[in-house]
Amino acid sequence: MEQKSDQELVQDVRSGKREAFTELMRRHQERVYWVARRIVGNHEDADDIAQETFIKAYIGLGEFRGDSSFFTWLYRIAVNLSFNAVRKRQVLNYLRDSELLRKVLPLEEDPEKLLETREMMSRLEKAVSLLPEKQRSVFILRYYEEMAYDEIAQILKTSVGGLKANYFHALKKVQQYLKDETTGPTDT
Amino acid sequence: MKRRDQQIPDERIEEELAAEIRRMIVADQAPPSPSPSYWPSLLVRTNQRIDEATSPKALTISWAARVAIPGVVAILTFFIGLRYFIPMQTQDAAPLKAVVMAMPDRAVDTLLSDPSWLGTSLSATDLGVDPFDMPKEQLAEYLISSASVRTVTEAFSDDQVTEVLTILGSRSSDLFPGAR
Repeated sequence: MEQKSDQELVQDVRSGKREAFTELMRRHQERVYWVARRIVGNHEDADDIAQETFIKAYIGLGEFRGDSSFFTWLYRIAVNLSFNAVRKRQVLNYLRDSELLRKVLPLEEDPEKLLETREMMSRLEKAVSLLPEKQRSVFILRYYEEMAYDEIAQILKTSVGGLKANYFHALKKVQQYLKDETTGPTDT
Repeated sequence: MKRRDQQIPDERIEEELAAEIRRMIVADQAPPSPSPSYWPSLLVRTNQRIDEATSPKALTISWAARVAIPGVVAILTFFIGLRYFIPMQTQDAAPLKAVVMAMPDRAVDTLLSDPSWLGTSLSATDLGVDPFDMPKEQLAEYLISSASVRTVTEAFSDDQVTEVLTILGSRSSDLFPGAR
């Protein structure tokens, strides 16, 4: 079976060949999973987001105009879904932190399990999880995925200059966090 | 021009920082990778969900929800408005409580969460606002009594989540006493 390009497979999917989409998933599922995993910080959410990404991509394939690569478009969906999940979790945490609401609402997740999840994260994962959203997304795509700034700009829909500044600040913060973890907090 | 160069960091500096970070974490454990059998199962499960999402039944339910829910709300609003306005037009100053009790149960629950609103001396003409224009505190109490935490958050759209986080961030001590 000849190796078709992503664009050719997209055309095949549009022609009704479902197996072409399975091939696209096979090619990109690991990278989609890992970008989600690095944003949300755990396997369960990353698994759900990976599936949601491909479902949205399949249903929305008609909207893919081909002005970027298929993978860039897919990545954009995965990054947006991942940060949506993180923000919803933040609202959930606010609700759980409220003493008033804790008395009347049943907790659906064991807080001990949530704490354990955080402790299992590596130091670098913890450092990245503390970054603001824009810095976190550019850090993950540049540091882990080693993507070019032009491609990241297409995914995050922001300027290259802004990305470079965000990445630099993210690197400094992660470096400082790792130093503090090793030697204890220092006043800067 | 010079100021712009100073604002955008040199890529060489970035590479040095990134290299230093890699040196600092060399002893760290990498996050555990899924087992090799995970990837084929992800394909299977995703394909199943795509089938479910694109089945004729799923599409029918989706469209039915888009049409039916606004339709039900419109019909309810019409009948409630009808009951609400008729007493005013006939100048019959029915007690406010009688007007409220004639409403559907769901609307009554929200008003009954704050019974101080009601009083036999009040009439429908005193109610100068839309009965569905309820104070947020009442709405919150209603949600607390009848919805789960996840239901509340899952119902938010992405824009609403961003707006909620912005408000919570600036007013956390007011909204959630005892929150960290």
